[in-house]
Amino acid sequence: MNESVVSRHQANETTLRIERLIAAEPDILFAFWTDPAQLVRWWGPQGYDTSVDRLEVKPGGQWRISLHQSGSRMAAISGVYRVVEPPRRLSFSWAWEDESGARGHETEVVVDFEPTPGGTRLTLLHHGFESKPARERHHSGWSATFDRLAEIAG
Amino acid sequence: MPAQTQLDSQFAALADPTRRAIVERLIAAGELSVGDVAAPFSISAPAITRHLQVLERAGLIERRIEQQWRYIRVRADALAPVESWLSRQRRHWTAALDRLEALAAAQTPKRKKS
Repeated sequence: MNESVVSRHQANETTLRIERLIAAEPDILFAFWTDPAQLVRWWGPQGYDTSVDRLEVKPGGQWRISLHQSGSRMAAISGVYRVVEPPRRLSFSWAWEDESGARGHETEVVVDFEPTPGGTRLTLLHHGFESKPARERHHSGWSATFDRLAEIAG
Repeated sequence: MPAQTQLDSQFAALADPTRRAIVERLIAAGELSVGDVAAPFSISAPAITRHLQVLERAGLIERRIEQQWRYIRVRADALAPVESWLSRQRRHWTAALDRLEALAAAQTPKRKKS
Protein backbone atom coordinates (compact mmCIF):
# COMPACT_ATOMS: atom_id res chain seq x y z
CA MET A 1 0.00 0.00 0.00
CA ASN A 2 2.69 2.42 1.00
CA GLU A 3 4.15 4.03 -2.10
CA SER A 4 7.78 4.93 -2.21
CA VAL A 5 8.44 8.45 -1.10
CA VAL A 6 11.14 10.52 -2.67
CA SER A 7 11.95 13.81 -1.07
CA ARG A 8 14.86 15.82 -2.34
CA HIS A 9 16.00 19.15 -1.02
CA GLN A 10 18.76 21.22 -2.48
CA ALA A 11 19.53 23.24 0.58
CA ASN A 12 22.25 25.40 -0.87
CA GLU A 13 20.38 26.60 -3.89
CA THR A 14 17.74 29.25 -4.19
CA THR A 15 15.26 26.71 -5.50
CA LEU A 16 13.58 24.29 -3.17
CA ARG A 17 12.56 21.09 -4.97
CA ILE A 18 10.46 18.36 -3.40
CA GLU A 19 9.33 15.29 -5.32
CA ARG A 20 6.95 12.65 -4.02
CA LEU A 21 5.16 9.60 -5.33
CA ILE A 22 1.66 9.60 -3.88
CA ALA A 23 -0.89 6.78 -4.12
CA ALA A 24 -3.70 8.91 -5.52
CA GLU A 25 -4.64 10.00 -9.01
CA PRO A 26 -3.78 13.51 -10.24
CA ASP A 27 -7.38 14.79 -10.22
CA ILE A 28 -7.83 13.80 -6.58
CA LEU A 29 -4.58 15.52 -5.62
CA PHE A 30 -5.34 18.58 -7.71
CA ALA A 31 -8.61 19.04 -5.82
CA PHE A 32 -6.72 19.06 -2.53
CA TRP A 33 -4.92 22.16 -3.79
CA THR A 34 -7.86 23.98 -5.33
CA ASP A 35 -10.93 23.15 -3.24
CA PRO A 36 -10.91 25.28 -0.05
CA ALA A 37 -12.64 22.59 2.00
CA GLN A 38 -9.93 20.08 1.03
CA LEU A 39 -7.04 22.50 1.24
CA VAL A 40 -7.56 23.50 4.87
CA ARG A 41 -7.22 19.86 5.90
CA TRP A 42 -3.50 19.69 5.11
CA TRP A 43 -2.01 23.10 4.36
CA GLY A 44 -1.22 24.75 7.69
CA PRO A 45 1.75 24.08 9.95
CA GLN A 46 1.24 21.66 12.85
CA GLY A 47 -0.68 23.34 15.66
CA TYR A 48 -2.25 25.98 13.44
CA ASP A 49 -5.75 26.24 12.04
CA THR A 50 -5.98 27.24 8.41
CA SER A 51 -8.67 29.34 6.80
CA VAL A 52 -9.05 30.26 3.16
CA ASP A 53 -9.72 33.97 2.65
CA ARG A 54 -9.57 33.80 -1.12
CA LEU A 55 -8.93 31.08 -3.68
CA GLU A 56 -9.61 32.30 -7.22
CA VAL A 57 -8.16 29.32 -9.03
CA LYS A 58 -7.65 30.79 -12.49
CA PRO A 59 -4.70 32.54 -14.16
CA GLY A 60 -4.43 36.00 -12.60
CA GLY A 61 -6.74 35.01 -9.74
CA GLN A 62 -5.74 35.89 -6.19
CA TRP A 63 -5.34 33.57 -3.24
CA ARG A 64 -4.87 34.20 0.46
CA ILE A 65 -4.69 31.74 3.32
CA SER A 66 -4.59 32.68 7.03
CA LEU A 67 -3.03 30.72 9.85
CA HIS A 68 -4.60 30.89 13.29
CA GLN A 69 -3.48 29.78 16.70
CA SER A 70 -5.76 29.73 19.73
CA GLY A 71 -8.34 31.69 17.79
CA SER A 72 -6.14 34.60 16.73
CA ARG A 73 -4.65 35.20 13.32
CA MET A 74 -0.87 34.68 13.39
CA ALA A 75 0.13 35.05 9.77
CA ALA A 76 -1.10 34.77 6.22
CA ILE A 77 0.28 33.69 2.88
CA SER A 78 -0.95 35.17 -0.36
CA GLY A 79 -0.27 35.45 -4.06
CA VAL A 80 -1.59 35.26 -7.60
CA TYR A 81 -2.17 32.19 -9.75
CA ARG A 82 0.08 32.07 -12.83
CA VAL A 83 -0.83 28.72 -14.40
CA VAL A 84 -3.93 26.61 -13.75
CA GLU A 85 -4.02 23.43 -15.85
CA PRO A 86 -6.14 20.80 -14.09
CA PRO A 87 -5.09 18.21 -13.20
CA ARG A 88 -1.47 18.57 -14.31
CA ARG A 89 0.04 21.90 -13.29
CA LEU A 90 -0.51 24.71 -10.86
CA SER A 91 1.73 27.70 -10.33
CA PHE A 92 1.36 30.79 -8.22
CA SER A 93 3.28 33.58 -6.54
CA TRP A 94 3.82 33.35 -2.82
CA ALA A 95 4.60 35.76 0.02
CA TRP A 96 4.25 35.59 3.80
CA GLU A 97 2.36 38.48 5.37
CA ASP A 98 3.20 39.75 8.85
CA GLU A 99 0.70 40.78 11.53
CA SER A 100 0.26 44.20 9.92
CA GLY A 101 -0.54 42.65 6.53
CA ALA A 102 2.75 43.71 4.92
CA ARG A 103 3.86 41.19 2.30
CA GLY A 104 7.41 39.91 2.52
CA HIS A 105 9.75 38.64 -0.16
CA GLU A 106 7.73 37.38 -3.13
CA THR A 107 8.58 33.98 -4.57
CA GLU A 108 7.11 31.53 -7.09
CA VAL A 109 5.75 28.03 -6.65
CA VAL A 110 5.22 25.47 -9.43
CA VAL A 111 3.46 22.17 -8.72
CA ASP A 112 3.37 19.39 -11.32
CA PHE A 113 1.07 16.37 -11.06
CA GLU A 114 2.35 13.60 -13.31
CA PRO A 115 0.36 10.36 -13.56
CA THR A 116 2.36 7.22 -12.75
CA PRO A 117 1.29 3.55 -12.53
CA GLY A 118 1.08 3.84 -8.71
CA GLY A 119 -0.68 7.21 -8.63
CA THR A 120 0.98 10.58 -9.08
CA ARG A 121 4.46 12.00 -9.07
CA LEU A 122 4.08 15.38 -7.39
CA THR A 123 6.95 17.79 -7.99
CA LEU A 124 7.05 21.06 -6.13
CA LEU A 125 9.48 23.82 -7.03
CA HIS A 126 9.70 26.89 -4.85
CA HIS A 127 11.91 29.59 -6.34
CA GLY A 128 13.38 32.45 -4.38
CA PHE A 129 13.62 34.88 -7.26
CA GLU A 130 12.36 38.39 -6.87
CA SER A 131 10.51 38.44 -10.18
CA LYS A 132 9.41 36.09 -12.91
CA PRO A 133 11.62 37.55 -15.69
CA ALA A 134 14.66 37.37 -13.44
CA ARG A 135 13.91 33.77 -12.66
CA GLU A 136 13.58 32.82 -16.31
CA ARG A 137 16.83 34.55 -17.25
CA HIS A 138 19.00 33.45 -14.43
CA HIS A 139 17.92 30.01 -13.47
CA SER A 140 21.14 28.20 -14.33
CA GLY A 141 23.48 30.91 -13.12
CA TRP A 142 21.94 31.07 -9.69
CA SER A 143 22.35 27.46 -8.79
CA ALA A 144 25.98 27.41 -9.83
CA THR A 145 26.75 30.62 -8.01
CA PHE A 146 25.21 29.46 -4.80
CA ASP A 147 26.88 26.08 -4.96
CA ARG A 148 30.19 27.90 -4.94
CA LEU A 149 29.09 30.40 -2.34
CA ALA A 150 28.03 27.53 -0.13
CA GLU A 151 31.41 25.85 -0.55
CA ILE A 152 33.36 28.82 0.65
CA ALA A 153 30.84 30.01 3.20
CA GLY A 154 30.12 26.60 4.67
CA MET B 1 18.79 45.56 8.17
CA PRO B 2 15.56 43.56 8.68
CA ALA B 3 15.96 39.96 7.53
CA GLN B 4 13.23 40.33 4.93
CA THR B 5 14.79 43.40 3.37
CA GLN B 6 18.19 41.80 3.27
CA LEU B 7 16.76 38.74 1.57
CA ASP B 8 15.10 40.92 -1.05
CA SER B 9 18.30 42.82 -1.70
CA GLN B 10 20.38 39.64 -1.92
CA PHE B 11 18.09 38.05 -4.48
CA ALA B 12 17.97 41.32 -6.42
CA ALA B 13 21.74 41.84 -6.25
CA LEU B 14 22.50 38.40 -7.67
CA ALA B 15 19.87 38.57 -10.40
CA ASP B 16 22.25 40.80 -12.39
CA PRO B 17 24.73 38.83 -14.53
CA THR B 18 27.61 41.28 -14.06
CA ARG B 19 27.25 41.26 -10.29
CA ARG B 20 27.02 37.50 -10.32
CA ALA B 21 30.22 37.34 -12.37
CA ILE B 22 31.92 39.65 -9.85
CA VAL B 23 30.89 37.39 -6.98
CA GLU B 24 32.12 34.33 -8.85
CA ARG B 25 35.47 35.99 -9.51
CA LEU B 26 35.79 36.85 -5.84
CA ILE B 27 34.93 33.32 -4.82
CA ALA B 28 37.59 31.92 -7.15
CA ALA B 29 40.26 34.42 -6.09
CA GLY B 30 39.44 34.74 -2.39
CA GLU B 31 40.18 38.45 -2.27
CA LEU B 32 40.83 41.05 -4.99
CA SER B 33 41.68 44.71 -5.20
CA VAL B 34 38.99 46.91 -6.69
CA GLY B 35 41.10 47.29 -9.84
CA ASP B 36 41.48 43.52 -10.24
CA VAL B 37 37.75 43.04 -9.79
CA ALA B 38 37.09 45.45 -12.65
CA ALA B 39 39.82 44.16 -15.00
CA PRO B 40 37.87 41.53 -17.03
CA PHE B 41 34.77 43.67 -17.47
CA SER B 42 34.40 46.04 -20.39
CA ILE B 43 32.40 48.53 -18.39
CA SER B 44 33.40 51.80 -16.76
CA ALA B 45 34.96 52.09 -13.31
CA PRO B 46 31.94 54.01 -11.98
CA ALA B 47 29.68 51.19 -13.18
CA ILE B 48 31.84 48.64 -11.35
CA THR B 49 31.71 50.81 -8.26
CA ARG B 50 27.92 50.88 -8.40
CA HIS B 51 27.77 47.11 -8.73
CA LEU B 52 30.08 46.72 -5.74
CA GLN B 53 27.88 49.07 -3.71
CA VAL B 54 24.82 46.96 -4.48
CA LEU B 55 26.64 43.78 -3.45
CA GLU B 56 27.93 45.41 -0.28
CA ARG B 57 24.52 46.76 0.73
CA ALA B 58 23.09 43.29 0.22
CA GLY B 59 25.66 41.94 2.67
CA LEU B 60 27.30 39.70 0.07
CA ILE B 61 30.76 41.29 0.02
CA GLU B 62 32.93 43.24 2.41
CA ARG B 63 35.89 45.60 1.98
CA ARG B 64 39.24 45.66 3.66
CA ILE B 65 41.49 48.70 3.48
CA GLU B 66 45.24 48.17 3.73
CA GLN B 67 47.30 51.33 3.40
CA GLN B 68 45.97 52.95 0.25
CA TRP B 69 44.58 49.73 -1.25
CA ARG B 70 41.02 48.55 -1.02
CA TYR B 71 40.39 44.83 -1.15
CA ILE B 72 37.09 43.06 -1.62
CA ARG B 73 35.98 39.58 -0.66
CA VAL B 74 32.78 37.59 -0.28
CA ARG B 75 31.43 37.59 3.27
CA ALA B 76 31.62 34.25 5.04
CA ASP B 77 28.01 34.41 6.26
CA ALA B 78 26.67 35.79 2.97
CA LEU B 79 24.30 32.87 2.50
CA ALA B 80 22.60 32.96 5.90
CA PRO B 81 19.40 34.84 4.94
CA VAL B 82 18.84 32.71 1.85
CA GLU B 83 19.43 29.51 3.81
CA SER B 84 17.06 30.62 6.53
CA TRP B 85 14.36 31.35 3.96
CA LEU B 86 14.85 27.96 2.31
CA SER B 87 14.77 26.18 5.63
CA ARG B 88 11.48 27.83 6.59
CA GLN B 89 9.89 26.88 3.27
CA ARG B 90 11.22 23.35 3.44
CA ARG B 91 9.70 22.82 6.88
CA HIS B 92 6.37 24.19 5.68
CA TRP B 93 6.15 22.04 2.58
CA THR B 94 7.51 18.84 4.07
CA ALA B 95 4.96 18.79 6.88
CA ALA B 96 2.09 19.89 4.64
CA LEU B 97 2.88 17.30 1.96
CA ASP B 98 3.03 14.56 4.62
CA ARG B 99 -0.57 15.38 5.53
CA LEU B 100 -1.67 15.76 1.91
CA GLU B 101 -0.17 12.38 1.09
CA ALA B 102 -1.96 10.65 3.95
CA LEU B 103 -5.32 12.27 3.16
CA ALA B 104 -5.16 11.68 -0.59
CA ALA B 105 -4.04 8.07 -0.23
CA ALA B 106 -6.86 7.42 2.27
CA GLN B 107 -9.39 8.81 -0.17
CA THR B 108 -8.16 6.82 -3.15
CA PRO B 109 -9.68 3.34 -2.55
CA LYS B 110 -13.20 4.85 -2.44
CA ARG B 111 -12.70 6.74 -5.66
CA LYS B 112 -10.78 4.19 -7.68
CA LYS B 113 -12.66 2.81 -10.66
CA SER B 114 -10.85 -0.51 -11.02
